[in-house]
Amino acid sequence: MSVWEMLFYILVFPGLLFLLAWTFFVFYFARKTLAYIHKRVGPHYNGPAGTLQTVWDVFKLLTKESITPKSADPYLFNIIPIITPLVAALPVILIPWSPAINGGRPILDTDYGVLGLVVLIGVEPFLLFLTGFGSHNKYSFLGGMRILAQMISMEAPFFLAALSPALLFGTMNLYEIMYSNNWLTTLILLPGAIIFIITMLGILEQPPFNIPDAEQEIVYGFYTEYAGTNYTLLKFAEFTEILVVSAAAVTLFFGGYRGLFFDSFWWLFLKIAILALIMVAIRASNPRLRLDQMLKFTWSWLTPLAILNLVWVIFAKLYILGV
Amino acid sequence: MLKVLDFFNYARSKSPWIVHFCSGCCSLEMLAAMGPRYDWERYGYMMTPTPRQADIIFITGLVSKKILPALLRTYEQMPEPRYVVAIGACAYDGGPYNESPSVIKNMTEILPADVFVAGCPPKPEAIVAGLEELKEKIKRGEPSASSQGGLWKQMKF
Amino acid sequence: MERIKEVLNNFDMEYVEDYKPTWVKAKLKNKDDITKVVKALKEVGIRSCSTVSPTDFPEENRMEINYFLEDIVNKKNVWLKVDIDRDLDKCEIDSITPILESADYHELESYSTFGVKFKGHPNLRYFLISRDYYGKFPFRKDFDWEEHEKHLIENVNAIAEEFFEEYEENEKTVGHEDSRTVLHWGPTHPASGPIRLKVYTNGENIEKVEPDIGYVWRALEKLSERKDFIGTIVAVERVCFMDNTNPMICYAQAVEEIAGKEITPFAKYMRVILGELGRTVSHLISMGGFFGTMGLQTFLMWCLDVREYFLDALEDYSGARIATACIEPGGVRYPLNDYKAWFEEINKAIEKWEKTKPDIEDIFLKNPLMTTRAKNKGIFSHEDVIDNYLQGPIARASGVKTDVRIDEPYAAYGELKMDYVTCENGDARDRLEIIYKEINQSIDLIKQAMVKIEEGIEKGEMDPKKDHLVKMPRRMPAGEAVSRVEWARGEMLMHLVTTEKSTNPYRLKIKAPSVNHTRMLEKLIPGHSLSDIPLLYGSMHICQGDLDR
Repeated sequence: MSVWEMLFYILVFPGLLFLLAWTFFVFYFARKTLAYIHKRVGPHYNGPAGTLQTVWDVFKLLTKESITPKSADPYLFNIIPIITPLVAALPVILIPWSPAINGGRPILDTDYGVLGLVVLIGVEPFLLFLTGFGSHNKYSFLGGMRILAQMISMEAPFFLAALSPALLFGTMNLYEIMYSNNWLTTLILLPGAIIFIITMLGILEQPPFNIPDAEQEIVYGFYTEYAGTNYTLLKFAEFTEILVVSAAAVTLFFGGYRGLFFDSFWWLFLKIAILALIMVAIRASNPRLRLDQMLKFTWSWLTPLAILNLVWVIFAKLYILGV
Repeated sequence: MLKVLDFFNYARSKSPWIVHFCSGCCSLEMLAAMGPRYDWERYGYMMTPTPRQADIIFITGLVSKKILPALLRTYEQMPEPRYVVAIGACAYDGGPYNESPSVIKNMTEILPADVFVAGCPPKPEAIVAGLEELKEKIKRGEPSASSQGGLWKQMKF
Repeated sequence: MERIKEVLNNFDMEYVEDYKPTWVKAKLKNKDDITKVVKALKEVGIRSCSTVSPTDFPEENRMEINYFLEDIVNKKNVWLKVDIDRDLDKCEIDSITPILESADYHELESYSTFGVKFKGHPNLRYFLISRDYYGKFPFRKDFDWEEHEKHLIENVNAIAEEFFEEYEENEKTVGHEDSRTVLHWGPTHPASGPIRLKVYTNGENIEKVEPDIGYVWRALEKLSERKDFIGTIVAVERVCFMDNTNPMICYAQAVEEIAGKEITPFAKYMRVILGELGRTVSHLISMGGFFGTMGLQTFLMWCLDVREYFLDALEDYSGARIATACIEPGGVRYPLNDYKAWFEEINKAIEKWEKTKPDIEDIFLKNPLMTTRAKNKGIFSHEDVIDNYLQGPIARASGVKTDVRIDEPYAAYGELKMDYVTCENGDARDRLEIIYKEINQSIDLIKQAMVKIEEGIEKGEMDPKKDHLVKMPRRMPAGEAVSRVEWARGEMLMHLVTTEKSTNPYRLKIKAPSVNHTRMLEKLIPGHSLSDIPLLYGSMHICQGDLDR
């Protein structure tokens, strides 16, 4: 791997520029789709069909005053928004993005890909808890506590669901998992995929699990005190995480960039976009759950189901695939 | 350098976010302006739940004495540059409550507004038109009226 | 009725007389008897206090206190008057709150604005008014507003000072040791509107809730004393803009009663149509807002979409979307020059609603997540409703059959076919469903009224260009009247007092339902978790405009 190649990975694809482009895209996409379901138009006049709206939003936020509240811990308050997007972007190197990059393999092609992925995804809510903790605001702190509760209860089924393809194919290498996938195994893994997508909503704080930043209850949760650049960075981290987790779902369960007729990044993108569409549709039609209902749901339904799913995967491996 | 600043002013004018603060009846028409028929998101306006991320605060009609400290506090929590839009007759001189003793009549002396929207309550179109005026002001890079003075600096909140 | 009169006659009364079909009007001679009278009335079934309204007569040096006591099951009401001394140190009377809970906030309000001390009230404190009026009793006739106005900055600083003191006190009493804290839910909160709930929490669990109101206090009752009889409709309609036609109907009826005028049948049917349009408009927001409290904006947007069509109809008639000012004493304000075009407009709105209805039922009213959250939350029993006097949709959601439109028909409601709309469980979900049912009922009423008007015009009984207004006298005779309407959120009662040859109201008491509903939050919310505040609050359909007036 040459220096130029590395710089390209870091700065352009799948690094900074790609993630920025994704952020611009998904924010616009979510707003526009949501508006369509609301019977509205959504961003329309800024740029062709409103496509430049997010660009202006970001540039505005970057030039706003970045407030550090008097009672907040200034170091914690300002350092976490820098660390969070970095941590959120790390799993990018574990995912095979395109046949054109590194021979179709992930940039870091390791046999522990699944493990690295779930651990790096799982560490993110901790940082968001620290934002709530450092803000010294009651609502932020409550948001932080809620995020911890949600993380602990969501990640058990998340890990178990992510394990099911690894168990089926007998490898943790994401590239191999992706290439072992076919129509039959996708069907076998479907229950696992559904559990993965449900927990994904919880880990990404998407409705109906947007409990930590519940506007009507605790103002804006851990975001409450953040302004200007810090807020932009945190939002950037959030959207990067959405990308990473949906890409992980697609790679683990739906064959990554492989598609009909040809393999390309655009297949991956299409699958991620479909997942994003599902997320927006859920956001538009379902109210938020309560914290205790979420806990009950994850521990008494989701986690046992995820374990049962593992049993099913082993059964399928032995008797259907006959390996 | 001037061009760069102009660019940022342009960006600011294109994405005004509005803090959720309701002190009077005109907020009902703001709701309508958000709704499907008038949909101010077409122009890039958005409601934010906290004042920390907002650019604009609305004086939505009447301001009673009791809510004034909360209003000023919300205003103070917003990051610079911040703008004030006064909608409705009450925000100008008390409107129909001009004779009521618990409503503040000189609201814009206390917190000077950049744009007035007339009406009681103003129609959603008028609110959007007023915000478009404000956009022009932001684009020119003019400082907001409330940062220039006003009685709010003498008040406790 | 006879039974109530009998009970009242046991006491030393100046007079006991019938007033309207459902009311008994009586004046008590001795103010010390008040608790005994109320106790005796409670035994015959009068268990709810609608409001307490003092009227100040400085010339005669007396303060007349009006109690409006109601029996919502058997529809028998008592209007009880009693005179007390006006001087501040002697201006006191026994509190009826220990007997009738629902009088609580109304007595506090009378104390804060008129200085009537209610002896024996469990927690007599200043309420509603802002701090600069503490101890000044602003609704008394001799209060000097102009003088008070001159010290604006000091007044506002005094109000801010109160918040700081409260903060200090919370720091001391709650401390930082355990997981207890005080959250201020409002007035800047995204879901609250201008009200503040002081929420005492232990982690996510709520231990106590204290509503702090008065953030949109406009002193409408005082304001209307400064306007003339027509100008008062501007003050009255601003009670709450969500449903702005019904308060005007209520006020106009009171004025018509004092003037002794009867309005035309055409105007009556017009009032029905306008009132039901206002109710529909308000209910659409209430219904959408209920889902908004759970973080789902789609339904609110859909409701706003439908609402615009109903507002079109109102705008077509009155020229304004929500501040219509279209009903005035004597009828309705504008003639209907082209009634077919206007009915067409209304039909368009109804059609829009009918088209959206199946989607609303399938996606939102049967939504499983909404059901898990709202089902069996915040249940009100029959007894709760009566003791705390919950009204309108909230009462009907618990299965209590109360509706002023049927109990005491006004406008043309007596001639239209309608029945009580009720739900059974009285939980938060039912309080959503009742709203949906009521919109359908309103639309049915609008249709009936339109048919009646059309028939009347065809027969030549009504003339939409001339019949809209009866000429009212310029100066009113002395008198007083009570008028009730079924407002979108419950019963609205207005008590109007006029003096001889007056051009403006001497006293106008506006009683609005949100006061009792807000009081109920104190009992409703504790024991639930933080996530339930917006839901339960939203399920009460409270509007701060009519809470504070």
